[in-house]
Amino acid sequence: MIEALGLSKRYGDVLAVDDVSFRAEAGEVVGFLGPNGAGKTTTMRLLTGFLPATEGTVRIAGHDIFEAPGLARRAIGYLPETPPLYPEMQVQSYLRYVARLKDVPRKRLRDAVERAMERTGLGELRRRSIGQLSKGFRQRVGIAQALVHEPEVLILDEPSVGLDPIQMREIRQLLRELADSGRDGAGQTIVLSTHLLGEVEAICCRVILLHAGRKVLDQPLSELTRDGGSLEDVFTRHTLREPLAAEAEAEGA
Amino acid sequence: MRHIPAIAGRELRAWFVSPVAWVVLVLFALLSGFFFLMQVRLFQEVLSYYQQIQQLEALRSVTLNNFLLFGYYQTIWLVLLFLTPALTMGLFTSEKINGTQELLLTSPITFWELVLGKYLAAVAMVTLLLLLLALQTATLFVFGNPEFWQTAAGLLGLWLVGLGYAAVGCFASSITKSPLIAFFLCFSILLLLFLLGQIASIGMAATAGAPAAHWLTDALRWLSSDRHFEALLRGLLDTRSITYFVFLIAFFLVLTRGVVESARWR
Repeated sequence: MIEALGLSKRYGDVLAVDDVSFRAEAGEVVGFLGPNGAGKTTTMRLLTGFLPATEGTVRIAGHDIFEAPGLARRAIGYLPETPPLYPEMQVQSYLRYVARLKDVPRKRLRDAVERAMERTGLGELRRRSIGQLSKGFRQRVGIAQALVHEPEVLILDEPSVGLDPIQMREIRQLLRELADSGRDGAGQTIVLSTHLLGEVEAICCRVILLHAGRKVLDQPLSELTRDGGSLEDVFTRHTLREPLAAEAEAEGA
Repeated sequence: MRHIPAIAGRELRAWFVSPVAWVVLVLFALLSGFFFLMQVRLFQEVLSYYQQIQQLEALRSVTLNNFLLFGYYQTIWLVLLFLTPALTMGLFTSEKINGTQELLLTSPITFWELVLGKYLAAVAMVTLLLLLLALQTATLFVFGNPEFWQTAAGLLGLWLVGLGYAAVGCFASSITKSPLIAFFLCFSILLLLFLLGQIASIGMAATAGAPAAHWLTDALRWLSSDRHFEALLRGLLDTRSITYFVFLIAFFLVLTRGVVESARWR
């Protein structure tokens, strides 16, 4: 479960994220949509506690990310924009290292690493150096490190970047499974950002549209496309609204 | 503190997988071997010179410990001055280049675990270098009779100096993204610490007679590392010198932790 309340992030004069609040329950897959520079990555960094919010609070699985960082962070699996990989390490030992950082008990280390590799289809590459892998496989290792400790919450910044269509479908399949029953049957909470509308349609149950740091839309996917309009229409309507409104005003004047 | 072994272990493995550790070890072995031979030759020349001119008083003061080993350890100090920055420059910069600090700072580890884990890896490498040196020194016991405790104390002193330099290296690596800048920054700090004593002497001469400047020159003198490590290398385990290096280590590790924490506020 993720709870964000009034999140803002200011860089000097720029308000990168402006008063964003939302809630995501177990089993939900929430898609962050928005044009480049809308504040998707910054919002995710605020959710994971990598960046401190200028204002607002984040609770992960009920724990405040700054007041109980240990508990909150243990409950997060995070794939940053660039997968955090050590090129000289082998896939398996890298995942083992991440699992140790995330407090997976010693006895369960081996199983946790095996399971993460199996789920992301990395089993045969376990002894390969990460630096030698193709971009798609590196992305998979990035996803594997987010999964390895079976966190309650998964925060994935553009998980399907660099994957070919088949890999993309596999990853979507995996994310769907995780949301349904990933964690002891309880289902994981998944937040992912993307600008692939097809990805949202394929796996998300809810869409949060960000534009210029603000949340402009937060609706279940089913409601969005109910009246027959495509997601693309919704996306363009909301992200172009402001320039159009400005134009209309200019014409009116 | 339970994450420290994982972090230190990863760092050490990274050094040995990449050529860094091997380059440093080979370079150290070659340089120290070379300087050792030079020092042995010099020692013999000085001995025979004093014998020729019948300076028995001076001859007595030229011992294996006071002359050969002290000179040798001084040159090793010079090697450490270059190798420690090379060793530590990647500690934090590599995390920033790989984007892995995003993994570290969102994991349930503390800043102290991160800094101490990295530092411990550097300590292990410095210790390895000093073990090589101890091996070289040990050959002297086969062919001569140096004072055991004085020799051991000298090695221990050099080890302490290495640990202090590693802490400075940690700090330099934490404040920049570029390994090259980290190297030169660390090197500059080490050099500055070494030269503080000289600066203090110049200041002393310039302000001769002004009592107000005394505490400043005294402070600079204390801060300068040369006197402290000279005492240590001679095999004098002076508590003031030990305190100095312990203070240096603590100071730079605290600074490093501060820098790592502040990185997320930028």
